[in-house]
Amino acid sequence: MTIAAEEEMPRAKRRSSLIRSPQFSSLVILIVLLAVFAIADANFLSPLNISNMMAFLPELGIIALGMTLLLTAGEFDLSVGAVFGLAPVVVMLLVQNGGVDIGVALLAGLLLCIAIGAINGLIVTKIGISSFLVTLSMLLVVRGAALYITQGFPLKSWDQPGFFVTLLAGSFNIGTFRFYTSLWWFIGLSLLAIYVLRYAKLGNWISAIGSNRNAAVARGVPADAVKIWLFILTSVLAGLAGMISAFRISAASPVAGTGYELEVIAMVVVGGTALTGGRGTIFGTIVGALMLRSIRNGIVLIGVPGLAYNIFVGVIILAMLILHALLQKNAARS
Amino acid sequence: MEVLRLHNLQKSFGSVRALKSASFTLNEGEVVALLGDNGAGKSTLIKAISGVFPVDRGDIYVRGQRVSIRSTRDAMDLGIETIHQDTSLAPDLSIARNLFLGREPVNLKWLGVFAPLDLAQLRDAASALLKRVGISKKLDADALVSTLSGGERQSIAISRAMQFAAKVIILDEPTNNLGVEETHGVLRFVKEVRDAGHSVLLITHNIHHVFQVADRIIVMRRGEIVAEQTVADTDLLTVESIITGADMSALLKETRAK
Repeated sequence: MTIAAEEEMPRAKRRSSLIRSPQFSSLVILIVLLAVFAIADANFLSPLNISNMMAFLPELGIIALGMTLLLTAGEFDLSVGAVFGLAPVVVMLLVQNGGVDIGVALLAGLLLCIAIGAINGLIVTKIGISSFLVTLSMLLVVRGAALYITQGFPLKSWDQPGFFVTLLAGSFNIGTFRFYTSLWWFIGLSLLAIYVLRYAKLGNWISAIGSNRNAAVARGVPADAVKIWLFILTSVLAGLAGMISAFRISAASPVAGTGYELEVIAMVVVGGTALTGGRGTIFGTIVGALMLRSIRNGIVLIGVPGLAYNIFVGVIILAMLILHALLQKNAARS
Repeated sequence: MEVLRLHNLQKSFGSVRALKSASFTLNEGEVVALLGDNGAGKSTLIKAISGVFPVDRGDIYVRGQRVSIRSTRDAMDLGIETIHQDTSLAPDLSIARNLFLGREPVNLKWLGVFAPLDLAQLRDAASALLKRVGISKKLDADALVSTLSGGERQSIAISRAMQFAAKVIILDEPTNNLGVEETHGVLRFVKEVRDAGHSVLLITHNIHHVFQVADRIIVMRRGEIVAEQTVADTDLLTVESIITGADMSALLKETRAK
């Protein structure tokens, strides 16, 4: 009897803490938003429109996964949008002007992303400059490099069908829906990220580092190494997303991804991950990515003038953040 | 029996000689209080023992064996656990996850840092530990540390040190920022830790606490150990005068004579 009662208690407690968790409130708001858009415009849930949203979603979503882990460890990366632009530009230049095999060129692009992430991470951890300043400078360097090596002109991307295009930007139909392989990448990477953050030893370290770095270090957690690897991961994911996008639209533009860094950070914090570190949720980030994507799509459909729509996006993000802050306060009081 | 022995430890930062010379011995099942004013070298000394930075000169012996401590990990592996005030726990993690931080029980060990946590064992071990140290009634192993009071946090941090069978537990200002009742709770806990056979090195500003729990007192001043006495052989006033360097008891006698 008593055992049963003891068993019941935490489960009920866990249920109520789940309902009060930020990712849950984000999910509720996402559902409300989807309902509002669906009622306002019947085309919102049409196969074509859903296919469209699902084509864009993974590109920012993949970066957001890396950003979530990085933010949970207490750092962030403003250079992701620039890396998103530079990686495909470098790969295409190597193929078109250097006559390099596409596989080799992709490998070179990967190494470039690893190098950018490693430089970010090393400067932040070893020299001790805030990631805001380091990655802001890196944004300028990387974007500037992309503009300089292309002289500002977009390149035609690789459009010959082949293994890599199928792998990154192949498409398939399910009924009347048309999906890209990038959706599989996003789903696969999401599951991996959920596993790492919630269930793996590394996830425990990442949260601990963001929550109280000194405590983690005092327990022998290699905080600097973890952060450097997360910077590398985030850069690589940004480069991967850039390649997916370039293959999908058959063009590599040096200005692709401009402003993505803030959009990605918005997705992550709207999902409930704390900007101050320690508290991260991949599920929330997926909800956040879906939310920003559907807002951008939905407000165009319901007829908000194109030039005005950033106002709405900004207001909705602010409202979300206020909601999270209020929930946080409530939780602290109880 | 001797657990930890320091011999002539020295450490300078640039031209500042933070630790001129420190030698002392810590025995099994003993609480030794390390006292001294700000800048006396207490922090430097415990940081050297806990592996935050290496010493310039001098030897450290653990159970008679000469050891070299180059990292916090080295110190932990030798059975020296340090609990710094406010820096020992991650508030966004659960009690269970904090208890095993850096030493997580995992399945599929070959996966390295990607190995899955053994959540069942994590929870069971944490609950068992909380029960053993007598704070299970109030605390759920899954509760976030941010929901705990300062005293509860200290107790969790100290239990964590005990759980890994630490030979030496270093407590850095464990009663700072705590209420009266919580302070008593922590001090009672320190006695229990000693009775369980661990040795405790207690760093504090509060001399009253020292007289409640310590067996021996070591006083530092300007990077040196200036006094070492058993609690039974001394009193509050004497210790206070040694810390400040002024002969307070003589001063008191003088004023009383007048």
